[in-house]
Amino acid sequence: MRRTRTLKDILWALAMAGLVAGMFRLWFGLGATTNLTDAVPWGLWKILNMIAGVAISTSGFTIGFLVYVLKLERFRPLMKPAILLAFLGYGCSCLALLFDIGLPFRFWHPFLMWNEHSFLFEVFWCVILYFTVTAIELGPTIFEKLRIERVAEYLHSIAFGVVVVGISLSSLHHSSLGSLFLVTPQRLHPLWYSSLLPLFFIISAMGAGMMFIVLIKILYARLYNRESVFGPKGEETIFLAPLSERKAGNGNHRSVGRDMPMLIGLASIAVSILGVFGILQIIDLLVSGSWRALIAGTWESWLFGLEMILLAGLPSFLVWNPRTRRSPTALGMAAFSACSGLMLNRLDVGIFGYFRNAGAFYFPSLAEWALSIGVIAAAGLAFLFFVENFPIFDEEWRNRRKDMGVFRASFDSLSRVWNTALSSGLERTTVIAVLVIPLAWGIMYPMYSRADGIEAIEPAVGLDITRTELCIDGNKTGVTTNFPHADHRERLGGESSCRSCHHMSLPGDETTACFRCHRQMVQSTLIFDHTGHTRAVAESEQLKGIHPSNHSCAVCHHEGEAKSAESSKPCLDCHKEDTAWAERSDGEDDLAYAVSYMEAMHNNCIPCHREKAEEVDRKTLGDCSTCHRSLVARQIVSETLVPDDH
Amino acid sequence: MKGILVDVTKCSGCERCVAACITENDSDPVRAHMDRVLTKDGLSENRLLSVLSVDDGRFARKSCMHCLEPSCVSACLVGGITKTPEGPVIYDPDKCIGCRYCMLACPFTIPRYEWQETTPFMRKCEMCFERVKDGLDPACVEACPHGALLFGERDDLLRVAYSRIASGNDVYLPRVWGENEFGGTSVLYISDVDLSPIGWPEPDVESIPSMTEPLITKTPIIGMSVASSLLGVNWIIRRRMKLQNEIAGSGETTISTEATSPAETAGSVGPDRSDQKGGEGA
Repeated sequence: MRRTRTLKDILWALAMAGLVAGMFRLWFGLGATTNLTDAVPWGLWKILNMIAGVAISTSGFTIGFLVYVLKLERFRPLMKPAILLAFLGYGCSCLALLFDIGLPFRFWHPFLMWNEHSFLFEVFWCVILYFTVTAIELGPTIFEKLRIERVAEYLHSIAFGVVVVGISLSSLHHSSLGSLFLVTPQRLHPLWYSSLLPLFFIISAMGAGMMFIVLIKILYARLYNRESVFGPKGEETIFLAPLSERKAGNGNHRSVGRDMPMLIGLASIAVSILGVFGILQIIDLLVSGSWRALIAGTWESWLFGLEMILLAGLPSFLVWNPRTRRSPTALGMAAFSACSGLMLNRLDVGIFGYFRNAGAFYFPSLAEWALSIGVIAAAGLAFLFFVENFPIFDEEWRNRRKDMGVFRASFDSLSRVWNTALSSGLERTTVIAVLVIPLAWGIMYPMYSRADGIEAIEPAVGLDITRTELCIDGNKTGVTTNFPHADHRERLGGESSCRSCHHMSLPGDETTACFRCHRQMVQSTLIFDHTGHTRAVAESEQLKGIHPSNHSCAVCHHEGEAKSAESSKPCLDCHKEDTAWAERSDGEDDLAYAVSYMEAMHNNCIPCHREKAEEVDRKTLGDCSTCHRSLVARQIVSETLVPDDH
Repeated sequence: MKGILVDVTKCSGCERCVAACITENDSDPVRAHMDRVLTKDGLSENRLLSVLSVDDGRFARKSCMHCLEPSCVSACLVGGITKTPEGPVIYDPDKCIGCRYCMLACPFTIPRYEWQETTPFMRKCEMCFERVKDGLDPACVEACPHGALLFGERDDLLRVAYSRIASGNDVYLPRVWGENEFGGTSVLYISDVDLSPIGWPEPDVESIPSMTEPLITKTPIIGMSVASSLLGVNWIIRRRMKLQNEIAGSGETTISTEATSPAETAGSVGPDRSDQKGGEGA
């Protein structure tokens, strides 16, 4: 089974890349590994893995509803795969969520700390309980295989009750996932915001979940059991029925696998549900007036259109069209379209719909993609493990045991590794690991040091630079100040100094902001020139050595003590000539620190201004707005509040 | 219920309040200063309060509004955010799991996250709750040299706001921002210019929890009704199947193989009568 093996190899590689990404996230934190920002706080892990992942795993409850409640026994063969998918879907959603939350080691908090007003709280509990339900539903299959019949029988006997509980929980949390976004009426794009979001979420999840199991069944048949869906070999169906009809003369004799009718039946139910979803969406748009956003031609409207076509339009067309409905390939395409449409819908509601309001764009980082896909790949591997070792789809699973080498418990021994490395089993996985983990590490590593985005600063072009002072907004913060341009030019080196602030060739950074040099505008500044001191000390003390300045540390810092300003030798110990002055000025002990730049400038001007204001009777002379022209003079309020005749 | 009244006409944009806030909350002043330039609205995990230019020569503070019915409080799944009776909306870092739903839920987009930390927490203005408990003014109010910020009982502040509007010779716009928006906020603004530049959301007088909480209280009822309707539907279907068996006259069950001909496949949702296996696999 070459194909199965290749698939497993790919899944292993992806899962290992995901593992690397997960380690990165735990080690470096969220900010270093993801592209999430305060404007877009929820990203790929939460929306794709959690919200879309849970939505697509509805198969467990929809098939349970059809088989146990409505008693449609023809869908019973899909019950076990559906439960398995639900179990794995929920499992991998929870796993991804564990990496997404900021403090993963506190995942247990919601068990003890309750806030029953929170939709997220409801989602948490329903997801956890439903995950347990799927585990119980999966139980009989496992215990029968392990020959623990009593437990299996007991679990069988409570199956109906468990299914009913599962359906109730599902209907609650799938709608609650939609309700999560009800709290953002101002922020979510009107195309997706609707008070009916809970309803939309549960309906679309039901339809797409059924389509997902159809897709999985077809893919499974491709891998293991071709005849069951695609019909006997040699009579493979062709996508477009008319062609094959012409070939066969009569479409009715086209042979398909024995499971095809069941799949078509399920897909028909699914597209009816999705059709209802589409119609409801359109009606809601019309009623709420948001249809204007649809014809506005923004990228959101195109996205919405694409989503509706993928989720409802194309599947309905493919399944209801008599020409395509009996082709397994077309059915698979319909199912794939519905599943990707659902993913897109959740991404729209959870991520894309917020861009307009946030004024920011978010594209997941490499680590986010790697973990997201890696978790799904791990679920895929678990799926393959289950279908190869347990009677999930059919009773022919024993025949496939020969393909399950990947999970065989054997270990590399040096003598065998190269002989068998590429042949099968765990050895192959080891080789993949050896290749993928360093590669993933290498590719992802630079992502952790995300450069700070610097906003564009408009150049002060058109100002007369021959003037000594310019009024500029140097930090681009909406506050202007008098900037001694000529003085700066002189101090920084005349004509050639322009480039230290003006970078005409650099995109997005035409001038250097004031704070780039005046880093500590509001903080008292360390005036101690450390580099100069090491050099000067090395020279004056005549230190010998290859790097004499390396030996100068001990002159000021004591051994075995952290080297800090506080623990070092006092300045006045060496600067004896300053001692007399220091004693005069009531013993200033912190000589290394000067007042902040802002304070120094203010103290330079303001006292005199205040004095003169009294002298010449111009009260506003001492105001901030005298120098900061963007600030408003104080008198506005006082003048307007005082009646005119005074 | 305490609150802060912001008089935009008196603010000169000197940012003393921001400096006081940085000191009071033990933020890194250098990073705070960088964030003023690097972020859009000057708010970051190091800078819980910012002063934005709303018009020519007009400035307004942007920080937590301390809503009367806060959306973040109802959103937090572990109950880590609470509205205190004193007025401030406070955050308990010991409960937080880092889900960031509060950031999504806040209509003013105030909460900020310590993205660069490996054990990150949410940070936002807490109206200096410790100081308020001790009977002091919040640090920003104390630092304001122009009297643009006023701290006190919210009802008193509303009265002050309206008396200023009335005696202001039409300087002020006849509106107190925060009086009714989102169910009312503890931080109130009066201004002579429109305040939408500080990110005031579309006017929505209804508070967000008042939209969502009626829905969530119905949860147990919805769950129960789904379960009971499932049982009801199941009972009806079983009974119909049993009756059909009786009508068929014989107790024999004929298990026809499913779908021998691909032609009969349409999506009929009704019970499949050809298949009468009966109860579950018990």
